Amino acid sequence: MSEHVYAAKCTSCGAVSYPRHAVCPKCRNERFENVEVGGEGKVLTYTDVYALAIDFETRYLRLAMVELANGTRVTGQLLADEPKLGMKVKTIVDLVRDPGDRKLYGLQFLPA
Amino acid sequence: MNSVYIAGAGMTKFGRSEWPLMQLASVASLAALHHADLGDIPVDGVVVANMGAARVNKQTALGSALVDQLALYPATAESVENGPASGASAFKVGVQAIASGMADVVLVTGVERMRVVNGLEGTDFVASLSHPEAEYIYGVTLPSLAGMFARLYMDRYGVERKHLAMVAIKNHEHGTKNPYAHIRQTVTMEGILTLPEAAVNNPPIAEPLHLFDCCPVSDGAAALVLVSEAVAKKLKGPKVKVAGIGQATDTHTVHEREDPTDLKSVRLASEKAFKMAGLKPDNVDVAELHDAFTILEIAESEAAGFFPKGEGHKALERGDTKLGGKLPINPSGGLKAKGHPVGATGVAQLVELVWQLRGEAEGRQVEGAKVAYACNFGGFGNNVVATVLQREES
Repeated sequence: MSEHVYAAKCTSCGAVSYPRHAVCPKCRNERFENVEVGGEGKVLTYTDVYALAIDFETRYLRLAMVELANGTRVTGQLLADEPKLGMKVKTIVDLVRDPGDRKLYGLQFLPA
Repeated sequence: MNSVYIAGAGMTKFGRSEWPLMQLASVASLAALHHADLGDIPVDGVVVANMGAARVNKQTALGSALVDQLALYPATAESVENGPASGASAFKVGVQAIASGMADVVLVTGVERMRVVNGLEGTDFVASLSHPEAEYIYGVTLPSLAGMFARLYMDRYGVERKHLAMVAIKNHEHGTKNPYAHIRQTVTMEGILTLPEAAVNNPPIAEPLHLFDCCPVSDGAAALVLVSEAVAKKLKGPKVKVAGIGQATDTHTVHEREDPTDLKSVRLASEKAFKMAGLKPDNVDVAELHDAFTILEIAESEAAGFFPKGEGHKALERGDTKLGGKLPINPSGGLKAKGHPVGATGVAQLVELVWQLRGEAEGRQVEGAKVAYACNFGGFGNNVVATVLQREES
């Protein structure tokens, strides 16, 4: 798993999809270029989840959906002590899960 | 297409079961077959709904295994895995077989035995339906998707935790009237929300959702016998017709939906089902909704067309959705109290509705029910099957 997170930008209509689809949901084109996901955004919603898979050793995880400045939406881990709807965050890519057989990197959100 | 009728319905008690997977499936199937009382009319096909047996029970090809248990050879056999919508999907496969004229009698059985693994493993197996790269790796589980949905929904529509608790209180009350329900105890607003002890009784699962906002993890099975019109005419019982089925899908990730609080797939599936039935939401006398989380009963009651958007919680406040109200929702106790053996759920919703339409739902009967609706919610709304059933007077 790379330490970058990429969205798919349609080479025909320019729509950015995250995650990528084999076919552009907007125009049905099948070709894309990678664009890095990141930058600033705002928290659309969040939760503290206690019902976790067994490979997480924390008591709970703070997860959020974030809308980035370019309109792309992403789900990831929220590293904020006082989360609020609409709060401004910036994204980083770091280790998000370590099930033992591989290390998984993905999006985390920090207060902006 | 040819008309399809449901001639028999049966289920096991939901809860923790010591029975092996195929025993659960067999007991429910035999209950439905005895209910249908087919005499010497043969079963042409079997469809089994299940989500997790390959992983948690180390068993596959359940359709063939059930034909063998019931000695129905050489009947056709299929297995359907479609996440939490497996039950209604299997039902739809059975309906299509009869509607096309390829079969006259089909047994549809949903089964899940998930308490054989611990809760964390069970939660993880269900979470495997989420998007592997864009959701699952972050620790997304179904409760977390429901928690994020609930927070946004509550903020936007003025739904409070007391409304969520009202769903739990109502469905637990209904569950006490259902001998097949996993949990048969009432809960109170004080016990789960307002007293200091509520913090202990009702701990957070995925804020703002707490324990009593979530369905239990259950084992169980449910079964239906579907028949053609020609067979239905030969049978004695009341006639319950499959009036309409609608299904709709949506994006895999929840964040990609234009409005993450819009259960578009519920709306589209329901519109299709009502159109096929030639009926409207107003015609429905009783409904079973997929309340895996309390917020979903409220949101689905709006998306299905029973209440305007943002007013489902007001209907709940008025008592419209209680037994005895204008539109009883989840008289069985719903997933909340009846339980949620995932692959069995979509079938069990229809089992309850068949009993309601036949006037056989003792202790929780909606008097004179003629039209019934079910919503089986797969994924976190990326695959929904809606069904409308109608009692036909002979």
